[in-house]
Amino acid sequence: MNAAAHFFTMGMESEASVIARGLRRRDPDLLDRLIEQYQHRLLRYLIHLAGSRELAEDLFQETWIRVLERGHQYDGKHEFSTWLYAIARNLTIDYLRKKGTVSLDGPMDDDEHAPLEPADKAPAAWEVVAQHEQAERISAALITIPAEYRETVVLRFQEGMALEEIASVTGARLGTVKSRLYRGLNMLMSRLKGAQA
Amino acid sequence: MMRDIHDEMRELIALGDSLSGAQQEQLRAHLQDCADCRSYAETAVKALQALRSVNIAAGTRLVHATQTRVRFHAARLREARERMWLVGLACLAVGLSATLTAPLLWRLFAWIGESMGLSALVWQTGFAVFFIAPALVVSLLLIARGAHLSDQTRNWK
Repeated sequence: MNAAAHFFTMGMESEASVIARGLRRRDPDLLDRLIEQYQHRLLRYLIHLAGSRELAEDLFQETWIRVLERGHQYDGKHEFSTWLYAIARNLTIDYLRKKGTVSLDGPMDDDEHAPLEPADKAPAAWEVVAQHEQAERISAALITIPAEYRETVVLRFQEGMALEEIASVTGARLGTVKSRLYRGLNMLMSRLKGAQA
Repeated sequence: MMRDIHDEMRELIALGDSLSGAQQEQLRAHLQDCADCRSYAETAVKALQALRSVNIAAGTRLVHATQTRVRFHAARLREARERMWLVGLACLAVGLSATLTAPLLWRLFAWIGESMGLSALVWQTGFAVFFIAPALVVSLLLIARGAHLSDQTRNWK
């Protein structure tokens, strides 16, 4: 194959298949790049799923170790983020089951989970206060929503995932995802309204 | 049971931008006529804006720690794989050598048995033990090594 043809073929290769090939080789440079690329999204998802930043950071590291170990299982035909979230989700479920204190199928206890901390990049003092208050209000509202609804709402509206992708990550049917989205949004709205009153 | 049209429209609102053209048109028409659902939609938009405004970021410390840990673990996995290759090659070499030397050893044990006046059962048992013993020892060593490695993996943090 000549150079132009090779370049054309490589150019045509999708991002997902490049990632799949790199993961099969356990390419450390690729993993470094992926960790940086997905750092905020993955951590945000894990914080909402696990309910605390400290636990989410542990699970964040474990997720990437799992990606390294099981990278050969990623087929490159689906979105990498969907596969990544599914791994993070399974790890979180395993952890919560082992602990036996909380379940992804039920609401989390407010007292056990600190409110989410907003990112530290505020330009003005009043904005810091406002952002912090807003973040606390949202996190306090989210944490009271049963995990399966919270997860669906976060994946849809924070991570911008398509309904089919959410179904793939959570292993739920499309109809279930839609219903969770509706109920989750209703719960979030009523909690936020309650917090304002 | 007939579904309430308002519930149906609110479900559409919750789906966000995943609506088909017809659904969007249906929702738009309903919102023009229904003040309650319009108010619901406005509240939903505000709630989602608030949700999106929560800015959670991973710190550089976490990212670097993760990258370091992943690289370290990748190196360990690579070493383990290389070791398994060596073990595999060694097994192949031992298998070949055993196949080639078995007839010679058989004759040697038969000659020793005859020279010492041993019964066939005794020298044949001796041959079997001599032939199997190295493989047994290596297997035991590998099992012990494997158990040791799996303990390390479990405790690795």
